[in-house]
This record gives sequence, structure tokens and C-alpha cells, in this order.
Amino acid sequence: MERTITITIDGAKLRVPEGTSVLEAAIRYGICIPHLCHMHGISDIGACRLCVVEHVKNGRSRVTASCTLEARDGMDIRANSPRIRHIRRNIAELLVAEAPNSRAIQDIAVRCGVKNVRYPFRNSNCVLCGKCVRICAEHLHANAIGFAGRGRNRKVVFPFGTRPEFCRLCGMCITHCPMTIPPCDGPMRPGQERLCGKCESQLQINEKFDIVGMCTWCDLGKGFQCGRYAGAR
Amino acid sequence: MPELTSVQSLAELRRQITARRASFKTTITICGGTGCSASGSQPVVEALRRELAGRGLQNTVLLRTTGCHGFCEQGPLMVIDPGGIFYCHVTPDDAAEIVARTVVEGQVVERLLYTDPVSGRKIRTESEIPFYKAQNRVLLSLNRLVDPTSIEDYIAIGGYAALEKVLAGMKPEEVIEQIKASGLRGRGGGGFPTGRKWESCRAAHGSPKYVVCNADEGDPGAYMDRSLLEGNPHSVLEGMIIGAYAIGASHGFIYVRREYPLAVKHARQAVEQAREYGLLGKNILGTGFSFDVEIARGGGAFVCGESTALMASLEGRPGEPRAKDVHTVEAGYRNKPTNLNNVETWANVPHIINRGAQWFAAMGTEGSKGTKIFALTGRVRNTGLVEVPMGTALRTIVFDIGGGPSNGAAIKAVQTGGPSGGCLPAEKFDLPVDFEALDQAGSMVGSGGMVVMDEHTCMVDVARYFLEFLLDESCGKCVPCRLGIDRMLEILNDITAGRGTPQQIELLEDLAQTVAQASLCGLGKTAPNPVLSTLRYFRHEYEAHIRDRKCPAGVCRALISYSIDAAKCTGCGVCAAACPSGAISGAKKQPHTIDAGKCTRCGICRSECRFNAIMVA
Repeated sequence: MERTITITIDGAKLRVPEGTSVLEAAIRYGICIPHLCHMHGISDIGACRLCVVEHVKNGRSRVTASCTLEARDGMDIRANSPRIRHIRRNIAELLVAEAPNSRAIQDIAVRCGVKNVRYPFRNSNCVLCGKCVRICAEHLHANAIGFAGRGRNRKVVFPFGTRPEFCRLCGMCITHCPMTIPPCDGPMRPGQERLCGKCESQLQINEKFDIVGMCTWCDLGKGFQCGRYAGAR
Repeated sequence: MPELTSVQSLAELRRQITARRASFKTTITICGGTGCSASGSQPVVEALRRELAGRGLQNTVLLRTTGCHGFCEQGPLMVIDPGGIFYCHVTPDDAAEIVARTVVEGQVVERLLYTDPVSGRKIRTESEIPFYKAQNRVLLSLNRLVDPTSIEDYIAIGGYAALEKVLAGMKPEEVIEQIKASGLRGRGGGGFPTGRKWESCRAAHGSPKYVVCNADEGDPGAYMDRSLLEGNPHSVLEGMIIGAYAIGASHGFIYVRREYPLAVKHARQAVEQAREYGLLGKNILGTGFSFDVEIARGGGAFVCGESTALMASLEGRPGEPRAKDVHTVEAGYRNKPTNLNNVETWANVPHIINRGAQWFAAMGTEGSKGTKIFALTGRVRNTGLVEVPMGTALRTIVFDIGGGPSNGAAIKAVQTGGPSGGCLPAEKFDLPVDFEALDQAGSMVGSGGMVVMDEHTCMVDVARYFLEFLLDESCGKCVPCRLGIDRMLEILNDITAGRGTPQQIELLEDLAQTVAQASLCGLGKTAPNPVLSTLRYFRHEYEAHIRDRKCPAGVCRALISYSIDAAKCTGCGVCAAACPSGAISGAKKQPHTIDAGKCTRCGICRSECRFNAIMVA
């Protein structure tokens, strides 16, 4: 029989099977932790850092990504404290300033409470979430794409720059890419990038009742491929 | 050489080596470390060897090429024993005189002696030199006594005695108790108690277990790990063997940068020699304990000094860190318990076993014990490797050992801990250098880099420089580190180019806090330190850049202008001839002027002028 453990997230006690990540546990119980690089059923790398939570242990709290944090019995997690929301907001701001030309990124920015962007916009095509690389390697066992380069030269490429034979053109990489769907108003041309923010109404349901941490099946989650939609399917 | 098969045979070998060497009356030690090799110590060795052979002295004079002595700035260095006569800046042409005067007659060659820049007097022996006098060189002093390519040299000075002691009758738990009692903490920067790390690795489930030596020293300006591995590889190896015995590991790695060819070579030779002598391999000294070490070369990525990235790299995967919620002592290399320690940490182990935990714990402060090697660089008179007890005041290191400012300008700050450390201002120079005190002051001990800065250093520019380095070296996996450092650098570029706004300081602070908290690994978590510490202590410099559009130190090109002080200018014309953009004009023997429109603010005129007439504002 499957062993279960109990963890506490924002005061709520959750019973989950052993080996579940904190993020998966939260998603399962409808506690909203925004995330980008997490995919249901695929290994987590902790790259986007949107899912950061406070892990309180012996009276000291440590900020860590919840997707790579395995739930252990008796864990105390704060997923929506002011400190965490502030960090999340800043990370979302970095993301939307880097790659505003995506509905997913714009939705994340709204969900994380970005009201204005303090950096000059860029128009990158890739946020290096690594979903494509992992789905190709773990789900399709093709390993047709991977990361190359370091730091700001990091990019997703075919080996040696050409499409290998073992790429089956299945298109899963494109399906899961958060950058393929443009913002609702259409693609932003260079120089016209902005924070969209039209979906703020989605947020109000939440904030009116001061239940920021609860999933309301908002449309924002559809935008950034929230794990809860994937789990429900 | 027959393999050593028992603990007693090692002691016997030590007696034999010592007896064999009794014929040598004089020892000439020449530093062959990377620093002294670069300043030409190899030709000196050859010249001396010829000279000694010519006089038939090769059997009474021992010529030894050693690892780094630490005072690299004065290289090539030479020490002649007995007497400890210290020569610096030696050239091959000096060889004949050294042999004739010093070796044969016992006289000192005055002109090769070191001149103390503070008092101006000549100093005869190494121990009297202020640079060495204020230090407590537990690890580095051995570098001078051994040829790193000779295991016999190391055995002769008592090497492998600690291993002997451990294998002869200490239980693994007793070794761990000793290390714990000594209070040794990780020298790579984290400062985690070594004994506790060993204990949890011993207790971890899984086999085989591994021990790894981290010699992937990537900090600009820090080179103590290189010097130890180059100069005394057997001490590191001995530490590793003892550690492996305590932990129950059967296999070890030395992960060393490819950019350290001499360290790679010496480490490899040391491993081969130790194997030959039966100190590595199966059934070490006949005790049934087996352990072997492999050398792994790193490709030179700074991030591969991080434990999980290092282990990924060891496995042959890209050197990227992973989340450390499960520690490497439980699941490291190939998901097996792996104990990673820095070169300096391993090198401390034999000393602790030999002299006892009490001896080690007697040095240092409450929380930080023993000595630590720092690489002192920047605007001080004496630069090099400095080994001092933990808790020594910054002032002692900078002024007593470093000899104070190199060009008369007041010292403004010290940057400790490498690129991800922080800048401490002169007011903080009474701080004891230990893990806690530096941490609280917003910096860190780190790997032990120490860059001294004077009033001609712009702190905003310093923060910008370190961020540029870190952005290049970030693996790019996580968002806060990759994009956060990029944006911080963007803001600092704006400020140094004179486009800064007051809001940017707040933004910089906010972003730095986020990057420090949310990043995946230690690189990102400490990357904002240069920004946060300069904002904390040198905020006025940021404000001067933004509000007054001035760079107080005269560094940031967009914010400064050069002019000539007519009272001091003699009209010699040197500056005009040196100026690459032809911006300086003036009649002969008349004060010259600079055309601000043509001037590119390169500063060549300033360094060329002998009358201090070029002014920067």
C-alpha cells in the first residue's frame, strides 16, 4: 500500500503519497503556487524559481523552489507569505521584461502581481524553461534537443546545430513551449512591448475574498499551462 | 622502491631517507611555483646546477625546486639553509656569485637581499621579513621544505605520519571525533564544519562512498589551492586518505582545473608515487584498508566549484547545479554519498591528527579555528599568499603584512571572498577575519581572495566588474541568476555611463535581495554581494554618480574630464606625444592644454606625466 505523509502549507494540512514534491502536493489540493518550468509527470529542474516557498524548520525559514523540494512528513511550508509574494513578483517582472511576447508570460506577470515593469523591455523568443528539452528526453526518449552555452549565451539547440535523424518531428516541444501563443492583442513588435495586464479581473475573484493562495480555476492558469489543468485532464 | 606493507615499514623508510641525506650540508631552495616560474626561476635552477657541478659540490649541496613560498611578487625566490638566507629577484647571472660567496664562503650577497619598502633596510633572512613575520604559516611553510615531485621529501619531513598514526590504531569514529573537536570548517567558502560533514557522510546509506577534493579554484586573484596542490600535493593526498578511512570511502577524486597545468602534473605524479609506495590502492600499509584516487580535470567553469555542479561535471554531464534539498553527503557523485572538501581543508587534516585537535582549536576565534590562507592582491606593497590565524584583524593583514598602500594613496576598502564576496570599508579594518564577523559585515571569507583598493578605485565600477564576471560564469539555468545579474549589470552600466536615476538605486537593492534569496545555487545566492556591500558602505559614491554626474575616484570615463595643471606643467611634451587621439597641444616649455572634445579619457597622459600635472575631475 502507498505510504502517505502529512505536510502543512499555509496552515492547511495535506496528506500526500510519499515522494510527492511540495508543488505537486499544493496543486493537488488547490493551493496556488505559480510555476512555469514544472510539467506534470516530467522531472523538475527548478529553473524558473517562480514556485519558491518558505520552508520553516527549527524556527528558521529558508527560501527554496517547491518543485524540487520533496515533501517530508511534518514539513511546514509558507507558499503565500508577503516575502514569497514579493520575490515571485520580482521574478515574474524579470521574465516579462525579457520575453513579453507570450500569453503565458503575461499571464504569469498578472498572476504574480506585476503592475509595472522597471526594466527596459527586450523581446526574447525563449525563456529557457527547458520544457521542450525535458519532454523530448523523458517522454519521447529522443534527446533531439538540448542546452548549449553558458549564462547569457545559453540556448536550446539541436546537436551541432542540425536536426538529427532521431528527431521524429513530433512537435511536442512546440506544444509545450510557453512562447508559442502570443498575447491576446497579437504579437508585439520590437519597440511596442508592454505589460498587457488585461486579465487582472481574473485576479480580483481571488483578492476580493483575501484567499490569494486558493485555486479558482482562473483562466490565467490556462495561459501558463498550470499543472492543475494538466492533472485534471 | 619496494611497496610498503606495514605501518612500521613507513617509519623505517623515513629513517633511511634521513640517513641518506645526512651528507648534504647546504640546501638551496628555489621556488618553482607558477608565479616564480613565470618570473624565470627555471633558468636560475639550471645555471645553479651547472655551477655546482662545475665546482664538484653536487653531493654536498642539495638543490631543491619547490612549490610556492607565497611572496610571489618578489620572485624568483631563493632560500639558502642553514641560515635561512633569503634572496629575491634572482637571475641566472647571479648563480656564480651565489655559489662562490654564499655557499662556499658563507657570505651574503647584499644586492640580492630583500629591501623592506617601509623602513628601507636590507633584510637577511626569511623569518625577519615583515611579510612573513606577522604570519603563522602552518600549511604554507611546508611548501619550502619539499620538492613536490618527490614523495621522499615529504616523508622525510614527517609526511604520512598522520596516516601512520590513524592506521596504526585509530577507529574511524575517533578520527571524526578529532576533526570535530578541532573545529575545522570548510575552507572553500561555505565554512561548514568538516567533522560534521564527515560524520553525516559516514552515516549516510549507500555504497560505495566517495571523497572529492575540490581544486576548481575559479576566483580571480585567489590561488592558494593551486599553490598547495602544486607545492605540496602529498599533504592533500594524505588528508584525503585519512578522510576516506574515516568516512569509509573506497574511491576519491581530485577535481582540478585544466588551467592549472602544474597542479595537474604534480597531483598526478603524487598519486602515482603514493600508489608505488603502497600508500594508495588495495590493502594500504597492510591494514586491509583500500582507497584509490583519480585526477579529474575541470574545463574551467567557475560554477563547477559548486558541489552539485562539480559532481555533475565529474559524471560527464554539463556542469550545472541542482537543488540541494538533498545534500551531496547523502546523494552526490552517481547518487552515492560523497564528501567534498576544499584543497586547504584536506591539507589541514594531517596537521590536526599529528598535533592534536587541541593545538588546532587553540588558534582562531570562538567559531572559526585554525589558520586560513588569503591571497593578498591590489594596491598594497607586498602581495602574495598570506597565512594567518582566523580572527586576525584586517588591518594587520593589509598594513603589517601587506605593508600598506603601494603608491601613497589612502586605502579605501578591501574586497574579500572573491567575486561573490563584499567590499569592506577602511572603518571596518578592525574586524577580525572569521566566518561570522565577515558574514555579518556583508562579505564573506569565501575562498580567501583579498583585493585591496585605494581612493583611485571606483566602487560602482568594482561592483560592475564583478557582476560582469559572474554573468559570464553563471550557468544560465535559473531565472534570478541569469536575468537578475544581467539586469543589475544593466543598471550599473547606466550609472557608470552617467544615465543613472535615483530610482535605480532602490531597484538595484530590491533586485539584489531577490536574486540572493531565490537563486538555485551558491553562485546566484552570493552574486549580489558586491552590489549590496558597496551600496551599504559606499552609497555616497552611487549618489555622486547619479546626482552630481561625477565619479569621485576618477574612473568612470563618461563622468570625468582631464585637464592640465598649468602651475605644475613644465611643457615637456611627453603627454602630447603619448596621447593616442592627439587631444593635447601646447608650445614647448609652455603649459599644455587638453581638448575635451578629442580626449577619450584613456588616462595614458596621466600615467606618462612625471610632474603630476594631469588632473582628473
